[in-house]
Amino acid sequence: MNGMKASFFLAWKYLSFNKLRTTILIACVTLVGALPLSLNLLLSASERELMARAETTPLVVGAKGSDLDLAINSLYFTTVPPEPITMAEVTQIQTSGLAIAIPLHTQFQARNFPIIGTTLDYLDLRQLTVAAGRNFSILGETVLGADVAATLNLKPGDTLVSSPESVFDFGGVYPLKMNVVGVLEKSYTADDNAVFVDIKTAWVIQGLGHGHQDLAQPEDSDVVLEQNDNVVTANANLTQYNQIDADNLASFHFHGSTDTFPLTAVIAVPQDDKSAAILRGRYEVSEASSQIIQPASVIEELLLEIFKVRNILNLVFVLVSVATVVALILVFNLSLRLRQREMETNFKLGCCRSMIIRLVTAEIATILVVSLGCSLVITAGTGVFKDRITRTMLS
Amino acid sequence: MMFRFNSHPFSRIMVVAIATTSLIISSCAPAEVNENTEQTENTEQVDGSAVTTEGSQSLIYVSNYPLQYFSERIGGDQVKVELPVPGDIDPAFWEPSADELAQLQTAELIVLNGATYEKWLQTASLPQAKTLDTANLFQDRWLSIKEVVTHQHGPEGEHSHEGTAFTTWVDPTLAIEQAAVIRDRMTTQFPDQADLFATNYKALEQDLTTIDEQLATLVVDSADQKQPLLASHPVYDYLAARYGLNLRSVLWEPETFPDEDQWAELESMLAEHPAEWMIWEGDPLPESVERLRQLGIESVVFDPAGNVPEEGDFLTVMQSNVENLSPVFAE
Repeated sequence: MNGMKASFFLAWKYLSFNKLRTTILIACVTLVGALPLSLNLLLSASERELMARAETTPLVVGAKGSDLDLAINSLYFTTVPPEPITMAEVTQIQTSGLAIAIPLHTQFQARNFPIIGTTLDYLDLRQLTVAAGRNFSILGETVLGADVAATLNLKPGDTLVSSPESVFDFGGVYPLKMNVVGVLEKSYTADDNAVFVDIKTAWVIQGLGHGHQDLAQPEDSDVVLEQNDNVVTANANLTQYNQIDADNLASFHFHGSTDTFPLTAVIAVPQDDKSAAILRGRYEVSEASSQIIQPASVIEELLLEIFKVRNILNLVFVLVSVATVVALILVFNLSLRLRQREMETNFKLGCCRSMIIRLVTAEIATILVVSLGCSLVITAGTGVFKDRITRTMLS
Repeated sequence: MMFRFNSHPFSRIMVVAIATTSLIISSCAPAEVNENTEQTENTEQVDGSAVTTEGSQSLIYVSNYPLQYFSERIGGDQVKVELPVPGDIDPAFWEPSADELAQLQTAELIVLNGATYEKWLQTASLPQAKTLDTANLFQDRWLSIKEVVTHQHGPEGEHSHEGTAFTTWVDPTLAIEQAAVIRDRMTTQFPDQADLFATNYKALEQDLTTIDEQLATLVVDSADQKQPLLASHPVYDYLAARYGLNLRSVLWEPETFPDEDQWAELESMLAEHPAEWMIWEGDPLPESVERLRQLGIESVVFDPAGNVPEEGDFLTVMQSNVENLSPVFAE
């Protein structure tokens, strides 16, 4: 026992003396151990995170076309919005009693962040809570995702102007100056990078609703082009309000039935599995103009494709590990050759051959044990922070 | 035993490394399951059926007094029903501020009359999962208002009665349907109290049916059912439709003496609609009553009870309305 202790003591002293060589060896072995484990943990966490958002979005209704585009746009607001559907889909689903229908309108942006026109149910669905201020409650109000507020340095009481769809859109709608009334808690999801407004506010941005002075009693009579019994025609001088406040709120109105107004998609949260099956069945019929998708299935298929890369990564790691181990064996061999004279001196001093072997073994064992410890610490650290790391990367 | 540098130590280390890896990966697996379970549980709370905190009353906001009465009767002491409209404002023309709407959003259930009653919905944001439209089921029986005039009275400012008639509850059978919608939603949302809600609803249904029977006996059995009648405001469309009243409306306010144009308009209406009774929402000014009497028109009050009555409750107000109508059909 004392002999073993002495061997490890001498090995430790030797390794401490050759700090640089020892550090490099430990780093190499640590990386070989920690990298595959940590990356696997991170990949699994990413997969789970991606699936979690999809799984908490039971069904999505949208225009017929690419189900992947529809799923990605509805979940992450990143792709070009799919063809619009109408608000009638929401009414239809809601009236059926099979599911709660949450409209999504993702067509517009404000300073490169997507404006999400929806209802407060979306914030409940995603369990988004307000960190500062309150939820939007009237037309023209907005609640910002945490990263939007941080990036644009906005807080409740500030304003944010919607961006025109195109700089050449001279005949397009007026930008709307939205009143920031709240900032959401950071959720480490795509919601952190979104600007949330009521669906009706999105329609105002689109020009489907507007507010202007009372044409029955105009402040400036020049704006009236023609007036019959019940019909007043205004000319282009009529100023439309580009910011909604308590004074002009009542003047805002929509022309036509809101059931005909556009949406990007509808998130349907069914009451139970049976309701989900019935609802899906209604969209399966060939004459339906919309499609219904299960984002979880779509994302799962996508991940199956993407994570085929994991197999390649694993293969690469195996090859790198083998190469590193071979290199380490070479390093130890070369090291022993370089230390041939040192060992001969030890032998002449009275050390038996087995003692010399024990000394070298103790050195190698110490390096491997320390490396293994470091690998475990790194892997454990990755395991603890994997969700935060992946959420940060994904958001 | 002698051992060689190049084989045994590494084999052992590899075995240890593989075992450790397996341990780490297997220790991660249960966490995955737990997190997924957690997500599933969270999803279930999204459908608006969040159950109230045990032992406390569920907060319900309503948009007019009849809905408050129905909700309180059905929910009993299990619910706390709030009508956010000030007493001096007709709830049909109430315009909530952003802060008042933020308050509404905190409710577990928001009961709306529907049939375009809540004009403020057009500019307001409410959680749809918590919102209940009580008139949606009989959308095919909504009535439209033909006479459209903008006018002003009270603190709520200028308004008009265009579009759909929204005073649905003055027809007791529609009131019963609205109450049934409230019962169904309360039962879904708070299933533990289903029996209580069913019992309370039965009692309310009986009371409203009695009112309906009384009105039917009074009006439908009367020889004067089709006599021309006047209403001071277009809020009795559903009452007229239910009992076959021959009713036309002006736009007068009980607390305001009509101007000469309004009297002229009335006289012109009387030429083709020779009414002998005018039904008012509230007690009219004595001078209005007197001048109507000179035209051969008597006044009677049928209070729709849109806001909280000064005395009694919805049922007693409706019973008074029945009694008030008695002389109209007793001749």
